[in-house]
Amino acid sequence: MENQNTNEQKNLMISVAIIIAGILIAGSVIYSKGSNQPQDKKAPDVAQQQESTDAVRPISEEDHIKGNPNAQVVIVEYSDFECPFCKRFHDTMNQVMDEYGPTGKVAWVYRHFPLDQLHSKARPEAIASECASELGGEGAFWKFADRFYELTPSNDQTEASVITKIIKEIGIDAIAFTECLNSGKYDQRVEADVANAVETGGRGTPWSIVITSSGQTLPLSGAQSYESVKQLIEIALSEE
Amino acid sequence: MFSSLKKVFSKPRYITIAVLVTVIVFVFVVWFPNLRLIKEIIFNSGVSSISKISFLFSLFGSIKTNFSVISSIIAIIIAIMFGLNISLITYYIKTRQVIKSKSGTHLSIGGLISGILGIGCASCGTFLLTPILSLFGASGFLTFLPFGGEEFGLIGIGLLLYSSYVTLKKIPEPLVCEV
Repeated sequence: MENQNTNEQKNLMISVAIIIAGILIAGSVIYSKGSNQPQDKKAPDVAQQQESTDAVRPISEEDHIKGNPNAQVVIVEYSDFECPFCKRFHDTMNQVMDEYGPTGKVAWVYRHFPLDQLHSKARPEAIASECASELGGEGAFWKFADRFYELTPSNDQTEASVITKIIKEIGIDAIAFTECLNSGKYDQRVEADVANAVETGGRGTPWSIVITSSGQTLPLSGAQSYESVKQLIEIALSEE
Repeated sequence: MFSSLKKVFSKPRYITIAVLVTVIVFVFVVWFPNLRLIKEIIFNSGVSSISKISFLFSLFGSIKTNFSVISSIIAIIIAIMFGLNISLITYYIKTRQVIKSKSGTHLSIGGLISGILGIGCASCGTFLLTPILSLFGASGFLTFLPFGGEEFGLIGIGLLLYSSYVTLKKIPEPLVCEV
């Protein structure tokens, strides 16, 4: 009788363990294997493409780079101006650059990943940031991004006046800025960033890829804490 | 009902089960968005064990940075409730010598799934709900929900509470031979 109880207890524990493991594995499979990227009617059909962080577009002069472009570790962030967690992560990345930027060991590349179905304002805001960059230079892009994330309430709640205010603060000509916005010249650029985010496996924002000196690419999903990003940078820097 | 609760958790074994399951669910929820990264780090022979452990622990900080306040509370409650639930169901099954407690188990699993759907960063798609809805091209549906999908977490808590209630109610019932 005691043996029977012990056996049943073991079977029970195994069943419970299987149920938990099954749920966890099923969730992981759905998450990591599904063709579950944010849907964008303009985005390429990536369901049949192989996702890999190695597909990250090489860093070029066209990118917005903070820090040393030849740094040992480059963090490529794909971000959505209306995502509240991108707002948090923007602060984290600024903190990272405050610490590692002066050493020249870490660089931060900002790319656009507006989630159109969730945040309809994010794409026009991304284009606005590009116009700020064109008219005010690379420094103006970062000033725009920093100030925007500071002022935005996120989740598509940003008033148009926020952009007007920032443009004025940065000292960009309002007429030229409006012309740039209406020209559509940066639509393709933002779309290229979105397509690359999806190609690399991005499903949400913020989505980042840490590139080490050997070219290894590490995916970092979500607004991770400063401590996590720092640990990851230290791991990447310790790579021989 | 409280006497049943006391009866179950007076035995250290069931406290252990509850704590273990709670920890497993919580760890899973926090690490979930970065399972690929974790795999890369863990299997990288060039990374020291200390760095690996430090990194894994540092990811727990995301409960503050990658979750809204409501979402992190839901995540913690779901993990605790699921742990309690599995422990109660285990006790019930063991004492009744039955293979499974259908209603309790189903409710419990339903609660966990619904709960996991509702936690994380639904508004930015780094968790499960948005990608699943995206499969059907319906992630925009989230914008119509007042809490951006966190409602599913609340449903999960409700299901787990009901599951616990059902199981606790059954525990003191006399043993009878069912026809």
